[in-house]
Amino acid sequence: MPFDDLPADPRPDMDRLGIEAACVTHTLSLYADPAAGNEALSALDDPRLIPVPVVVPGVPGASVPATLDEVLDWDVRLVRLCPERHRFELTGPVALRWLAAMAARDLPVAVDLEETSPAALRTLAAEIPDLRVLLLNPGYRRLRAVAELMATVPNLWLEIGTVNTQRGVEWLAERYGADRLVFGTGAPVLDDCGPRFLLDHLELGAAEVELIASGALRRLM
Amino acid sequence: MILDAHGHIGAWPDFLIPDPSAGGLVAMMDRLGIAAMGISDLLGVGPDAVEGNRRAFEAAAEHPGRFGVWQVYNPHHRTPLTDRPGVWGVKLHPDVHQCRLDDPLYEPVFALGLPVLAHGQTDSPWSDPAQFAAVAARHPEVPLLMGHTGLWPYGFARAARLVADHPGVLLEVCGSKITGRWISRLAALAGAERVVYGSDACFLDLRAGLGRVALAPLAETDRDLILGGNLARVLGGRLA
Repeated sequence: MPFDDLPADPRPDMDRLGIEAACVTHTLSLYADPAAGNEALSALDDPRLIPVPVVVPGVPGASVPATLDEVLDWDVRLVRLCPERHRFELTGPVALRWLAAMAARDLPVAVDLEETSPAALRTLAAEIPDLRVLLLNPGYRRLRAVAELMATVPNLWLEIGTVNTQRGVEWLAERYGADRLVFGTGAPVLDDCGPRFLLDHLELGAAEVELIASGALRRLM
Repeated sequence: MILDAHGHIGAWPDFLIPDPSAGGLVAMMDRLGIAAMGISDLLGVGPDAVEGNRRAFEAAAEHPGRFGVWQVYNPHHRTPLTDRPGVWGVKLHPDVHQCRLDDPLYEPVFALGLPVLAHGQTDSPWSDPAQFAAVAARHPEVPLLMGHTGLWPYGFARAARLVADHPGVLLEVCGSKITGRWISRLAALAGAERVVYGSDACFLDLRAGLGRVALAPLAETDRDLILGGNLARVLGGRLA
């Protein structure tokens, strides 16, 4: 990985920052072999680290895992898609077939905004309206486009770790509801201190903050 | 005492800022215990430094003691500058103005001797940290804050190395790419007395910026220096 400051184990930082549990994807799945990463992830045995394996939809011989049925048999509550990193078409016929099957099993997916586009997400929602999507790392520079997505795609949830412009989280909560906003950090590659502090100082009611802290994600998963 | 070295008011064309107001900043500063913030108006960073500076001084007057003004200097327009009460120094944005930080067009600014806060961006042709070292060598007496410490994480350590022998340069740590862990690392690399907290609010969320320092793995004495002690030393009597 092109960094030299990342801890091998996220749990000490989680302890320091008062983060009880975290959805995690394995480094190998993102920077090396998706299948090897998923295998390593499945070997974790700590309820604080909630496994989010990657799925790479594809024709036989090109997918991870090897078949859609394996995904549907996984005992996981969320999977991650990386269309850009893993070079597949999020709205191609194979991915749509896989994702429709996952939606039918009520299995939500997480995808980073930089891995896709608002247009692709709108197409996905039109094709599979029941698919629940958690949009990771939406950032702040595309707040207008992200807001349009929230307004038009009811099964879209938003991770707020990079919603980093002044009162951006409150602006989204007021319009689309705290029950669609999910605390996250992107750590250890991205910062965890700022989002954690922001969570404690949101200018929202206690019930809304609780939804963002964990309630919305619990419901999503 | 918490001092925020890097703040703004006003709108910016690149994206939506839900609350760009001075009043909104002060209300949040009150909640977070931030005594004062240095601001420039984003209009001033952009096309109209004169009007932006007027707005910044107006906001400072409306909230006495809470805002110091970083007057924007546009090198192409030779923006008039002042050393009146309430001034913290001069804000330079070499990337927006497309004028290298080490360009002679900035010499009138450095000749004033006021503290300077300049946008810094690793590998930018306009504001690479090497240019901070070059300017500091010419003007060692001028306090020079390297905004964002070069912005990109891959350049943080290099930025600290480049200015290690220029004690007038301070590493200001706002930015969406920096982490609490990197702030701790910069304190170890450069010395906590060379690192300065800034948030970039309202451009960025004030709470995210403060949180990166407040929750960073730092010794409390170092945290105090970064959160305000170092900037107070630089500003001296300029603090109201």
